[in-house]
Amino acid sequence: MNQLSNPVEVMGIDAGGTMTDTFFVRADGEFVVGKAQSNVNESQAVLESSADALSHWGRSVEDVFPEMVTCVFSGTAMLNRVVGRKGLRTGLIVSKGFEDFHRMGRAIQSYLGYAFEDRIHLNTHRYDQPLVEIKDTRGVTERIDSRGNVVIPVRLHEAREAARELIEQGCKAIVISLLSSYLNGKHEREVRDVCKEVAREMGVEIPVFASVDYYPVRKESHRTNTTVLEAYAAEPSRATLGTISDSMKEVGGKFDLRVMASHGGTISWKAKELARSLVSGPIGGVIGAKFLGERLGYENIACSDIGGTSFDMALITKNNFAMHQDGDMARLVLSLPLVSMDTIGAGAGSFVRIDPYTNSIKLGPDSAGYRVGTCWPDGGVDTVSVTDCHIILGYLNPDNFLGGILNLDVERARQSIKTQVADPLGLSVEDAAAGVIELLDLSLRQHLRAMITGKGYSPRDFVCFSYGGGGPVHAYGYTKGLGFKETIVPAWAAGFSAFGCATADFEYRYDKSVDIGITHESSETEVQAAINTLQSAWNELREKVLEEFRINGFSDDEVTLTPGYRMQYLGQLNDLEIDSPLASVSSADNWDDLIKAFDDTYARVYASAARSPELGFGITGAILRGSVETKKPNIPEEPDAGPKPAPESSLGSRPFYYEKKWVDAKLYKMELLKPGNEIKGPAVIESDATTFVVPPGFETFLDVNRLFHLIEC
Amino acid sequence: MTTYTKKQVKDLVSGELDWDSLHQMLSMPKDKERYGQYIEVLQEQVSWNDRILLPLGPHLYIVESKDKSLITKCSCGHDFGDYRQNWKLNALVYVRDSEEKMNQVYPKLMAPHTDWQVYREYYCPTCGTMHDVEAPTPWYPVIHDFQPDLKAFFDWLDMPAPVNA
Repeated sequence: MNQLSNPVEVMGIDAGGTMTDTFFVRADGEFVVGKAQSNVNESQAVLESSADALSHWGRSVEDVFPEMVTCVFSGTAMLNRVVGRKGLRTGLIVSKGFEDFHRMGRAIQSYLGYAFEDRIHLNTHRYDQPLVEIKDTRGVTERIDSRGNVVIPVRLHEAREAARELIEQGCKAIVISLLSSYLNGKHEREVRDVCKEVAREMGVEIPVFASVDYYPVRKESHRTNTTVLEAYAAEPSRATLGTISDSMKEVGGKFDLRVMASHGGTISWKAKELARSLVSGPIGGVIGAKFLGERLGYENIACSDIGGTSFDMALITKNNFAMHQDGDMARLVLSLPLVSMDTIGAGAGSFVRIDPYTNSIKLGPDSAGYRVGTCWPDGGVDTVSVTDCHIILGYLNPDNFLGGILNLDVERARQSIKTQVADPLGLSVEDAAAGVIELLDLSLRQHLRAMITGKGYSPRDFVCFSYGGGGPVHAYGYTKGLGFKETIVPAWAAGFSAFGCATADFEYRYDKSVDIGITHESSETEVQAAINTLQSAWNELREKVLEEFRINGFSDDEVTLTPGYRMQYLGQLNDLEIDSPLASVSSADNWDDLIKAFDDTYARVYASAARSPELGFGITGAILRGSVETKKPNIPEEPDAGPKPAPESSLGSRPFYYEKKWVDAKLYKMELLKPGNEIKGPAVIESDATTFVVPPGFETFLDVNRLFHLIEC
Repeated sequence: MTTYTKKQVKDLVSGELDWDSLHQMLSMPKDKERYGQYIEVLQEQVSWNDRILLPLGPHLYIVESKDKSLITKCSCGHDFGDYRQNWKLNALVYVRDSEEKMNQVYPKLMAPHTDWQVYREYYCPTCGTMHDVEAPTPWYPVIHDFQPDLKAFFDWLDMPAPVNA
C-alpha cells in the first residue's frame, strides 16, 4: 500500500524496567511492536525500540516520525525512583506540632501491596523510609479549624526561617502542607510566597509546592504524600520526558509527547500535576478495552491482564470503568483518582514451592520476573516458576520464547520440577507441573469470579478480555466454567497496554473536596447554599484545567469540560463518582437533577432496591475533567478469508500435556492467520511476544478485527 | 522449598539481614535446615563447647553440659543451674523502686509510680550482661518466663532429644 496514503499516525511507548516496548499504528489499523533493552539513556532506548518496530515495515525513524500525529508514553522510571527512594531532596513545611506525621505514616502503609498472609500478620508489617526525612521537616505556627476558620494566624517569620534553613541544608524543592488547607488555602499560599521570596533572596531557583495548588482534598497524609511526590519524583521525571521529547523533535517529530495518567486520561509532560503519571501501565489495558468495546459494541467487559508478576482485573459496565478516589501506589496513600483495579500477586512467572508441613503447592507471592525460571540457566534462578511448568508441558515453545532472544533449557526445568515439586509430592513430573498450572488457573478464576459476583453481577453479562504477555496462555484456564458471554484475546495482547495508552483522551482532571449534606428537612436556602458551594468549586477547578491546556497551546474554546461530583447517601461510607447531568448549576431546582443522576448510577452499580434516598444526600467532592480531540488508532479490519488457515501459517505440531495425557497440538504462526480462520483445540498459536493456548475441548476463530474468540465446546 | 545460606542466618541473628530476605523468611514456611544453621551460628559466638539446645535471650542459652546435665548458661560461661529452675534466682538483681531511680531511665513524670510498678533488672554475676527486665507490681514474685518442653521440641524437629530432656 502507498505509504503516503497510509501514514503511521499513533505511537505508544511502554518503558519498563527491563524492556522498552513501542507500538506503532498505521492509518489502516495495521500495527507493529518493537522492543529494546531499557538503559540509562531513556530517549535512546525509545529510539532503538522504535527503529526495531519500524524495521518490520522497512521504514526508518527519520522517515516516520514527521508523519505521526500523536504519541503516548508510560513508564516505570518514576515509580522506581519512589520505590528506591532516589528522588529529589525535598523539604517539608507543616503545621507546628505535626512534624512527625509524615514519617509515622498511615498504619495501612505498613502492609500496602503485601500478599494477604502478610497483611494479616503483624510481624511482616513494616514502614518504609519516609520520602522526606525529619531533619528536612519544619513546623510553622498556624491553625485552620475543620470548618476552614483561621484559629491561629500564620507566623510568617517562622516560615521565612524554615525556608532559609531548608535551602541551606541542601533541599532542592519545598513542599507545604498545612492542616485543613483544602478548606482554606490562605496560610499555605502565604507560606508559599514567603518561601519563593526567600529563595530569590538567597539567589537559588527551587520549585515550591503548596498542597492547595495541587490537591485541595481532605486527608492530610494522602494530600501530603501526593504533593511531596510532585517535588520528589515528578520533577526529575519532567526533565527526562523533556529530553525524550527533544530527541523526538530532532528526528522530525511534530507531535506533543503525552503521558498516561492514573485517572485514565493522558496529560502533557509539561503538566503541573505530573505525579499522576506515577503508575500507568496496567491502566492502559483497561482504557484500551473500553475503546475496543465502544467501537465494537461490547458494553460490559471483564478486563484481565496477566504479566510475569501479577494478575490485574477491572470491570467495565455500560462502557464505564469505576474510579477509586484515593489510589495507593508504591505503598503510599495518595490523593490521586485511579482507575479501579484489583491486583493479585500471581502471574505467569510466579515461583512454585512446596509447603513442607502441609505438603501442598504454594504459588508466589514473589516471582522470577525477567529471570523467567530455572529453564533459563543465565537467569540465575534456582526455584521453579510457573513458566517452567508451561515449558515442559509443551504450552510454550522453548526455541521461540520472546521471539527466541533467550535460550531455554527444557531438561534443566524438568530436573528442577522433579526434585523440588514432583518427588516431594510423589507425582510424575507432568502431573506435578499440570497441577501447578491448574492451581494458578483456579486461583485466578476464583478472584475473577469474586470480583464480578462481589459487585452483584453475573459473568453471563460480560465479555472477558484477556491480554498481557501471559493472558492468552491462561485465558482458557481462568475463564473455564465461569460462563462469560465470550472470551476475547486480541492478536496484539502483549502490546495491549501500549495500545490502550494510545487510545486514551488528552484529558486533565482536577478534584476538590467539598462538604455538602442535604436531607428532606433542609430548607431551600440550605439547598441553594449547597448549589453555590458546588458551582464555586467547579469554577476554581475550571480555571486550573484551562490553564493546563493553555500551557500546551490550546485555547479555552477547544476544550470540552465535563463537571462531575462524588455523592453518597448520608451516613454511608462509600461515595460514587457521577458525571454531572448539568453543565453548570445555579438554582436550588438543579439539586433534584443531581440526585436523580446519583440514584440511577447507584441502581446500576449496586441494585435499585439498595437505594436509600431517605437518608439524604451528601456531596464529598467536586470534579472537573477537560479534554481535547486527539488522533486515536484505528482498529484493524481485514477481509474474511474463510475458516481454513492458510498452509504457510502452520508450524507443524508439538506434544502437549492436558488432563493427564499427551496429545498432539497443532502449531500456528499468529501473524499469518487470517480473519475467519477457525482452529480446533488442541492447538498452540505462537507469536514473538505471546502464545495463545487452545486446549482440547476449546476452539477459536479470528474475527475481521484481529480478535480471537475462544469458545468452550 | 526455600533454603538460606549460613551467612543469611548469621545476619538474621545479628539483626543485619536485609528486609527483603527477612520478609521472605517471615512469609515462607520455615525451612528444615534452620534450627541446625541457627544453633551453629550461636555456637560460634561463644567460647565454651557445651552444646547449645535453645536460646533464651541474646546472651542466654539452655545447653547440654559435658556431664549431659541440662543447664542455663550465659555467653560468658556463667552457670545459672538446672534449666527447669528459674535462672533469675541465681542472677544479680537491681530493683528500680523509687522516682529517682526511674528518672535515670525515663524523662521526669514519664515513668510509672513505683508504688504500682517497679522494674527488676537481672544481671549475670560474672560478666554483668543484663539478661532480662521485668515490670511487675512491687509485691509480685520473680517471674519464671519460660519452661520449654525439650522432649516435645526435639520430637517436632525430628531429631534425637538430649538424654536428660
